[in-house]
Amino acid sequence: MNHKRYPWRTLPGLLLLTIPLFALAQTEPIGYVKTVTGEAWVTSAGQRVRAQPGTAVLLGSRLQTGAAASMGMTFKDNTVMSFGPDTELTVDEYLYAPAQDQLKLGTRLIRGSLNYISGVIAKLKPEAVTVKTPVGIIGVRGTQFVAKVEDVK
Amino acid sequence: MICFVKTSFLAAVLVLITLLAGCASSSTGSYVVLLRDPDGKLGNVVVKNPQGEQVLSQAFKAATLDGSKEPYFVMQDQLQRDFGAALAARPELPETFTLNFETGGAELTAESKAALPKILERARARKALDMSVIGHTDTVAKADANEALALKRANAIAEQLRQLGLQNATLTVESHGERNLLVATPDETPEPRNRRVEITLR
Repeated sequence: MNHKRYPWRTLPGLLLLTIPLFALAQTEPIGYVKTVTGEAWVTSAGQRVRAQPGTAVLLGSRLQTGAAASMGMTFKDNTVMSFGPDTELTVDEYLYAPAQDQLKLGTRLIRGSLNYISGVIAKLKPEAVTVKTPVGIIGVRGTQFVAKVEDVK
Repeated sequence: MICFVKTSFLAAVLVLITLLAGCASSSTGSYVVLLRDPDGKLGNVVVKNPQGEQVLSQAFKAATLDGSKEPYFVMQDQLQRDFGAALAARPELPETFTLNFETGGAELTAESKAALPKILERARARKALDMSVIGHTDTVAKADANEALALKRANAIAEQLRQLGLQNATLTVESHGERNLLVATPDETPEPRNRRVEITLR
């Protein structure tokens, strides 16, 4: 591996690289819904659809379940998440390129209940997985957990 | 007298129940509980908030998300009440299979060829199947050539899976070339275990 350094080449090169990567991040699924009971929704790029097994989850997607509903999904890196009723979670950060050491899974649990099972991201880079909540941040070191966030009324 | 003892005993039990009920309700705010992985492994969970940081490293240990109290153990009935629905919605866990190749090309070893029917069977049993097929090489030859070879391997397997009846499944193909070795080796080292395609069923 020879890295020749030409600063005058690097910047436009990087810009060219950034554009397709950014475009990919918007449209390529990072996971899929696998289980649904009752009414659940996935909102991606402003489009809200009724979730069913096979519904794609993208970077930035908002996942919601109704009053007597639940939903389960898997991510590309084999992270598994499932949600109980009245739950809302957004996927804010997702990077999965193990060969380039680019690993990140950042979600926000706004309310409801979550069951989380580690995938490859947490195994390769434990500090890369976080679940933000309105009161505290959960960090994961390769394991399973459940978390509940009570609605702030 | 006996009657009095009984009454006071009853009163004590009632007080205890009230206390326990109080305990239970105060612990049902916003919280996280550490559980074992499905494979039995236990990691840990860290909760950060303005109060500081709490680390959970025992199964069934819980921490409030706002750090308002010391970590405590959670009983099965509370877990069931708060998380029964989320736990029941858990999808089938992903499963990964590794196929190995003869050196230099996209020809499967005899053993790996024989493993294909089992993978197909597992794949067909899944609802809303999505698959990834990732190709790898050992470190023999240049990195660029290995990038292409690993992709060739992955594409060959993806094509076989489609032909064998998985044409409707969502399938992604990737190449990790020689950058993601299963067994670490120096450059230019033949290593059969590194010549592989990993198929993950989700």
